[in-house]
Amino acid sequence: MRIRRFPTAGSACVVAAALVLAGCAGAGGGTAGQSDPTLDIATMTFPQSLDPVTAVGGALPFFQATYDTLLKREPDGAYRPMLATEWTWDAGRTNLSLTLRGDVRFDDGTPFDGTAVKANLERFKASSGANAKWLSGLEQVEVVDATHVVLHLDAPDPAYLHYLSDAAGLIANPAAFADAEKLKTTPDGTGPYELDASQTTVGTKWVYRRAEGYWGERLPFDGVTMTVFDNETAIVNGLKTGQIDTAVVQDANQQAALEGATGLTTTPINFDYQGILLFDRAGVVTPELADVKVRQALNHAIDRKTMLEQIRRGKGVVTSQIFGTNSLGYDEALDSHYAHDPEKAKRLLAEAGHADGFELKMPRMTSIVTEAIASSLKSDLADVGITLTWVDVDQGDALRRVFQNREFSGFVMNLGQQASDWLVIKDLVLPGTFNLFGYTDETVRALVPEIQTSSTEDARDDLRALNRNLVENAWFVPFYRMTYALVTDSGVTATPQSGMAVPSLYNYRPAA
Amino acid sequence: MSRFAARRLVAGVFLLFVVSFVSFVLLSIPTLDVARQLLGQSASQEAVDAKNAELGLDQPVLARYARWLGDALTGDLGTSWFTSEDVLTAIGHRLPVTLSLMLGVTLVTALLAFLLGVWAGVRRGPVDRFVQVLGVVGYALPGFLVTLVIVLVFAVQLRWFPAIGYIPLTTSVPGWLSTVTLPILSLSVAAVAGVSQQVRGSVIDVLRQDYVRTLRARGLPPRRVLFRHVLRNASAPALTVLGMQFVGLLGGAVLVEQIFGLPGIGSMTVTYTTRGDTPIIMGLVMTTVVCVVVINLVVDMLVGWLNPKARAA
Repeated sequence: MRIRRFPTAGSACVVAAALVLAGCAGAGGGTAGQSDPTLDIATMTFPQSLDPVTAVGGALPFFQATYDTLLKREPDGAYRPMLATEWTWDAGRTNLSLTLRGDVRFDDGTPFDGTAVKANLERFKASSGANAKWLSGLEQVEVVDATHVVLHLDAPDPAYLHYLSDAAGLIANPAAFADAEKLKTTPDGTGPYELDASQTTVGTKWVYRRAEGYWGERLPFDGVTMTVFDNETAIVNGLKTGQIDTAVVQDANQQAALEGATGLTTTPINFDYQGILLFDRAGVVTPELADVKVRQALNHAIDRKTMLEQIRRGKGVVTSQIFGTNSLGYDEALDSHYAHDPEKAKRLLAEAGHADGFELKMPRMTSIVTEAIASSLKSDLADVGITLTWVDVDQGDALRRVFQNREFSGFVMNLGQQASDWLVIKDLVLPGTFNLFGYTDETVRALVPEIQTSSTEDARDDLRALNRNLVENAWFVPFYRMTYALVTDSGVTATPQSGMAVPSLYNYRPAA
Repeated sequence: MSRFAARRLVAGVFLLFVVSFVSFVLLSIPTLDVARQLLGQSASQEAVDAKNAELGLDQPVLARYARWLGDALTGDLGTSWFTSEDVLTAIGHRLPVTLSLMLGVTLVTALLAFLLGVWAGVRRGPVDRFVQVLGVVGYALPGFLVTLVIVLVFAVQLRWFPAIGYIPLTTSVPGWLSTVTLPILSLSVAAVAGVSQQVRGSVIDVLRQDYVRTLRARGLPPRRVLFRHVLRNASAPALTVLGMQFVGLLGGAVLVEQIFGLPGIGSMTVTYTTRGDTPIIMGLVMTTVVCVVVINLVVDMLVGWLNPKARAA
């Protein structure tokens, strides 16, 4: 009897509990839209530490909360004053003069001045941070006086303003450098927020509160919470239930799950592109690739449109170029330069003397090369006679075998399309990590020095010529730019940031 | 009983050493290029080498283990390579989340599984078949499907509970309940299905024993026979299964933690293991071993209390 009665009593308890808890859940929802709103951002990227030398693109908002940069980069990529109010290059573009604000102090009273800038830039350069290489050409930081410094470079670097508006420009209190371990979890900058250590769980949730007496533009949120998730299912559910104000959703299926959700606004972000980074243009590992016709055949063999439809539900734009839409080198016509044309690919292979095809070995990292991508590429290349052999590798193994051991001719990757043209050139065109065999050609040799010594605007034609040369000579095999969804709830608006996968912290506003 | 507990504790300490050494050696196999992950794909080899030296990865594995062990014995498990957080603090923040789930699931499972198992074992007939069908269905349903349906219905559609996040018990009891109810419900489906069948089987076995027939023949009330004799003997195997499930939840809660965005050690294990964050992984391994030793000890003592013959063995 007792057992038979249980479901009735149990149901009553469950319903009562649900009613109580429903009230709790409602009370715990997002507070955006109130008079002093807070902002709840969900992300899958988290900072390695809060020491600015470890800052990287996707995690930059964590640093922007507590640190100011020398320059501010607007959503469209334009540079505006922040801690530096003016900047000028000399004629040779190797000396960058900065005028600094004279009214900013760190929390302990230490003034922000030229000495602080010098200490930060030199520390950044000497660090083992992911972007320390940006400042490798910085020969000296000359402190003229408290509000003036001159950065002496060993060669022109057109991306310098980008660096100073990004990780390299984050300015910490030099007094904090003595305890580097503490700085990893306790930021000490002049930024608009302070880390609320009591509410923060490093690795999971970072909570920031407005810094009283902040010298700069007052951001519209009293507090910001950045919560890290390891999957987008949770993020999407949080957006739907109003527990998250905003997030960038990358996965096409998760984006589809958001379609029709009430109260959510979606803004497209085109930052990452997917494609084959073809390193071996000199044919060191795969001799056939030394012939430009073979590389062009690879490009014509790929059915980008079908891949995009089937793999990303069409959420993206097919492309044949590595320059992003926000860069000066971008040429819309080059997006469709290589049409899917297996017959032309076969003809090119035959002209190159490889009518019977050849074998191309590439590492397969399953986090990027899904089964669908792997089989699609294998099938497309097989159609023109190229045998694609996937070598299964895990992430760490792949990086070592590709970049250190140089075992492969190419690597399917997702890469961000930088807003700075010079960063694209530096990362992908000049000999280095992504041009690991050091390949170059006459056009590149002629154009790069011109671009390097010109102002950004003056270099536009050369950049487009360089881009065209890279595409026509099939330096790479890009597939498509992937469209991500910047999702905001009804209480928040957000503007995508040029050259970043996520908006800057300054790009969020309460909805009107 | 105290000698039994002391023996188990000594064995547990020995196990800690063995597992720590084996784990450290396995983690030292360079399958993950940690430095390059930290520095990014475009980092130069010189920078990668410098980072490896900074992390001590250029040292022999035995030297690194000796250093880790020395620090661990003083209570210092190091800091995460990827987030710079103190290992003990990081685990301390996440362990209560997973323990909340483990305790909740164990309580729900113990209650429901015993009720259903005893009901089926005593009543037999249609009731038994009904419970068996429930058990099969509950066990056969994929965990991720159950979890997704529960979150979509009760959180996204009905908005009765939050879909993501965790509120610590110390912050708000109703808040804590609201954040762990659906995850516990999700994890309990398969657990109740499994344990109820175990209880049912044990109850049926015990009811067939001669001494039960004798007790009944002596005229003892059925309720007394059931609760004082049958359940006491039938509980031991079910308790063992429950203990195993409890331990299994340390890692088995991963999926639920991920879907509900719960910062527990299940999802933490997956995240940090795939990155190769040795200090955190070693901390998690040690935590898991300690939990396993303690839980097994508690289960053994409970079983021994229920069945003195088991204690002697």
